[in-house]
Amino acid sequence: MDAINIFELSKEFISIKSIYQLVLQPFQKPKPSLAINNISLQVKQGEIFALIGQNGAGKTTLIKILSCLILPTKGKIDVMGCNILKDGEKIKASIGLVGSDERSFYWRLTLRQNLYFFAALYNLSGEKAKRKIKELSCLLEINNYLDKRFQECSSGIKQRLSIARSLLSDPGILFMDEPFKSLDLPSVKNLKNFIKKILVEEQHKTIFFISHNFNEVEDFADRIAIMHKGEIRACGTLNDLRNNISLPLVSLEDIYNLVVNTKGS
Amino acid sequence: MNALRKMLAFIKKDFYIHISYRIAFLFEWISILTKVTTFYFISKLVGQGMLPYLNEYQTGYFSFVLVGIAFSGYFNTALQSFSSNIREEQLLGTLEAMLATPTKIPLIIIGISIWDFLFTTITSIICLLFGAMFFRADLSQMNLLASLLILAMTIISFSSIGIISAAFIMVVKKGNPINWMISTFSGLFGGVFFPIEMFPKKLQFISYLLPITHSLKGLRHAILQGYSFKMLMPDIMALLFFCIILFPLSIWIFKKAVNKAKLTGSLAHY
Repeated sequence: MDAINIFELSKEFISIKSIYQLVLQPFQKPKPSLAINNISLQVKQGEIFALIGQNGAGKTTLIKILSCLILPTKGKIDVMGCNILKDGEKIKASIGLVGSDERSFYWRLTLRQNLYFFAALYNLSGEKAKRKIKELSCLLEINNYLDKRFQECSSGIKQRLSIARSLLSDPGILFMDEPFKSLDLPSVKNLKNFIKKILVEEQHKTIFFISHNFNEVEDFADRIAIMHKGEIRACGTLNDLRNNISLPLVSLEDIYNLVVNTKGS
Repeated sequence: MNALRKMLAFIKKDFYIHISYRIAFLFEWISILTKVTTFYFISKLVGQGMLPYLNEYQTGYFSFVLVGIAFSGYFNTALQSFSSNIREEQLLGTLEAMLATPTKIPLIIIGISIWDFLFTTITSIICLLFGAMFFRADLSQMNLLASLLILAMTIISFSSIGIISAAFIMVVKKGNPINWMISTFSGLFGGVFFPIEMFPKKLQFISYLLPITHSLKGLRHAILQGYSFKMLMPDIMALLFFCIILFPLSIWIFKKAVNKAKLTGSLAHY
């Protein structure tokens, strides 16, 4: 079974009218902008899938649609065999989301209090929550910071806390929006190792992540999709992508530039 | 069971946040007690002058206004806490994080405001006790069960208006005409600080269109005079009418607002 199955997905956003437009063109309909244009994609269970693209390519919108936070305009999407329009609650119980935003926690609370609160929202009871928080804080090396307030922690710790929260419910799929962006190089290495060895190889979780950094994707992802202006321009393993352009030794950055520029932008 | 556990988590979370602002916490208590004391001295000033208007309640002005002060907190909480907490969660980015969990939307709306209601309950009780112990407000006749029933219906009807205004905030993010309108009219026409009988007959009509009027009337009769359920029936029926109409409407409007925010991708915007 595919962990994620996207079929002909499109998402249009209606832009908000400015005061000027409201006064001078009150009856003119605002132009919709196409954030995602007719994409189809399958992600296998236990796979590390990377989505790369420039800012505004539609990557975060796609992750939010898959996490049931944004509704699609068109298309059919199944996550863990459940339809996102019909089984939102079921899907939310089986996924974890690591956002790119540092916000999303309570700054006056300690890391432990934050984790307990979200554990309850993920239906984890007292003793179970306690065990899970202990386990995750050790794995992510934040156990020494658990009684510090969120506002007193560095960006790296906050990022790890976000990952810990996403793993509270033991999800089958983890959506990660730039998970390594606030981390130093050794932490990135440790975290990649943790994701690959423990989450994927041991626990068979599916990882769907977004990145701007080609280097961190190259040696980490099983498959890569290149997204540009709301479209998937290429998708496959690094070797598939190289073979498609008949240049077997080029870097992912070169592939990206070729794919984006040759297909018109 | 899960819903209860989630509610407790919301209460714990907001309690910790509340007490983390220690000075503000202290000032909140001082200002409540100061308000009661101020109205005690105003009641001395007003003296017998107010009595003709208070015939219905068979009490002095201080006892009358004490009930108004003690329970006006509920109106403010019910009207404002939903929208202001939704806005705060949007600003913190935690609203999106909560909506990403398997928690139903009505539970989230209630959860983000439940601590405010608990805190208001504590302050209302303290307010009444302080007035009774230090300024001899007469609460000996109280019909506790009837008071609780009216209070519950008050919370539901006012919370419904609060949830509708939270739906407004969910979509337009800032600027809230519903709250402004209801709190302005309730403050003036609801009879918090003076009996509505002081208004000309035509203006009293406006008072009866507001849930706060029936709620305060019922609470005063139940607390100060110990009215039975039968005697309180007109106010109970009026409040029940507001609850039946407003509560399902508010949940429906809020769900629509969340859907709209999901369509426009603006759940986390502020």
